[in-house]
Amino acid sequence: MSQLTPLFTDEFAEFPLKRALGQVIKKREAGSKVVGAYCSYAPVELVWAMGGVPAVLCAFSNAPIAKAEETLPANLCPLIKSSFGFIELKTCPFFELTDAVVGETTCDGKKKMFELIEKNRPLYVMDLPQCPTNEGAVEYWKHSVTGFKKFLESEFTTTITDSAIEESIQASNIKNSLVEEIFSFGAHQPSVITWQEMYEVATYAMVSSGAETIAKLKEIIASLTERREKGVFTSAENAKRVLITGCPIGGDVLKVLKLVDEEGATIVGLDSCTGLKPYAGRIEERSGDPLLAIAKRYLEIPCACMTPNTGRTDTLQKQVTLLKPDLVIDLVLQSCHTYNVEAVKIESYVRNDLGVNYLKVVTDFSAQDLGQLKTRIGAALEMF
Amino acid sequence: MEGETYEITDRFQAETSIDLASQLRLIKESHTWDSLVSTGYGRHLSQKVLGGEAVTEIKAYATSAHHFYKDIATVIDLGGQDTKVLLINRQNGQLLKFEMNDKCSAGTGKFFEMMAARLGLGLNDLVAAAIKGSNSFEINSTCTVFAESEVISLLTTGISVEDIARAIHESLLKKLVSLLSKMMPTDSSSILFVGGGAKNGALVRFLAEALDKQVIVPEYPDFFGAYGAALLSKNFLNKNKEKK
Ligand code: SF4
Ligand code: SF4
Repeated sequence: MSQLTPLFTDEFAEFPLKRALGQVIKKREAGSKVVGAYCSYAPVELVWAMGGVPAVLCAFSNAPIAKAEETLPANLCPLIKSSFGFIELKTCPFFELTDAVVGETTCDGKKKMFELIEKNRPLYVMDLPQCPTNEGAVEYWKHSVTGFKKFLESEFTTTITDSAIEESIQASNIKNSLVEEIFSFGAHQPSVITWQEMYEVATYAMVSSGAETIAKLKEIIASLTERREKGVFTSAENAKRVLITGCPIGGDVLKVLKLVDEEGATIVGLDSCTGLKPYAGRIEERSGDPLLAIAKRYLEIPCACMTPNTGRTDTLQKQVTLLKPDLVIDLVLQSCHTYNVEAVKIESYVRNDLGVNYLKVVTDFSAQDLGQLKTRIGAALEMF
Repeated sequence: MEGETYEITDRFQAETSIDLASQLRLIKESHTWDSLVSTGYGRHLSQKVLGGEAVTEIKAYATSAHHFYKDIATVIDLGGQDTKVLLINRQNGQLLKFEMNDKCSAGTGKFFEMMAARLGLGLNDLVAAAIKGSNSFEINSTCTVFAESEVISLLTTGISVEDIARAIHESLLKKLVSLLSKMMPTDSSSILFVGGGAKNGALVRFLAEALDKQVIVPEYPDFFGAYGAALLSKNFLNKNKEKK
């Protein structure tokens, strides 16, 4: 195997969150307002349109959980506990930079947690309809999108024009299709991109926009194309291929992905909200009603909070066809009822309709289940 | 080794210790082998010290089960740390699916150890008491720690130790049955019970009654994984020869 050129060569190599923080700080110093978001449903185009920058507040560290449990119940999703614990400790660098926060009524734990952080920052909670295909759902959601726009305008005494929104829609579409193109390199066998690199790209693109970002993403595509042409691989020839789906991941829960590496398998796709999911759709351009176009696109995000969530199986079908995994790992965070219950359908769909082996992993951010996870992942990979 | 006949020449169990590495080094000095496969929670350390290959105990159990019991589809392993259920394709021995209990000691052999200690009994006495006891009430707590305090308060109410021992068994049994129910083909009349927990005669009997199926326990249930590893080592033996 010849030498692998890293996709990012800045001082943040292997520290994607620090890079993202750097991006946010840079924009803030240039006068941008920072709007914290907890979820892929946050229509960041509005933030970009007012010259602001979004910051992702979902936390994946075990460290602040003990603090959070002083207030929150222990049997709550670790993502919510971790994010809340950081705020209580005032040690989340992203939250400390925010000027306002946007939340959505996704799962119960999150939406009630928002009520507890309201005192810390100006907060807008968008009411998300949970039956996205019902009549009137898009129109209803558009009210929330409009409400968010008005909130930003009054909070920061600014006007967000339709043409600014239209511009940021077009910029998002370009960025998202580039990110999607980068993820599609996962299809190559043997692999030419690692999951660490996919995760870096997804984290970077979340807080970046503009010409510099487009140039960087294109440069990454060029590097990956070169790897493919020169036969520079990131996995063994016959490594077992794994697609990761389920809850958002990062930080301490990357333990699961590291175990897959340890078993000599290669992760070919990250389907969740910290992977491809937020980049997989396009917003209609020049529709004449940019807020409606945004509402439409965001309501198509296949999150388990929705019912029915047919987009999830459609996406999996596309991903499996493209990436040809041997195993789908459905990573469910402890106490995340929506993904945990949806796993019943996903298991049957992956096994029976797609004919691919499936493993559900329910875990939190601690290291206590490492031994058992290693056995389970090892055994699932031995099953061919 | 010829055909499908194998002979077990030596079988031994070492005390559980925190210094597995030096135990393994002793084995390395006292034994020789042509091919070796390690399995279980210590498999990676063992592979590091002894060489050879490593497989998960899940694969080892599946291999062993199909080798010794061709018409078995469902295997349950009750170990000290976790409980696993395996579903095997009866035609070719392929592992189709497996389930493990959540990371909690309440569904494992550890549960018995802790409850016996709480009652001031040895493990064997707990089993013997359970057989005599009647199934008259339930332990409600699903967590080992809470179940322990429940047992303590039961003792003060004058309920017999036999009935409490029975209830302790029933509490674990319920978990086993729910884990098993997802993984039993309707047409199978028996399941295989392995791991240290299968040495508990009371539990084996209650499980058979609860499932209304025959529960088969191999002669050395706690060696069953090791046998599977040994069977798998044959594949690597041939591989090594091919290389030469
Ligand atoms: S999984 Fe659902 S709730 Fe969580 S970030 Fe994604 S879209 Fe939002
Ligand atoms: S992982 Fe599940 S429970 Fe946790 S915040 Fe997301 S949707 Fe809610």
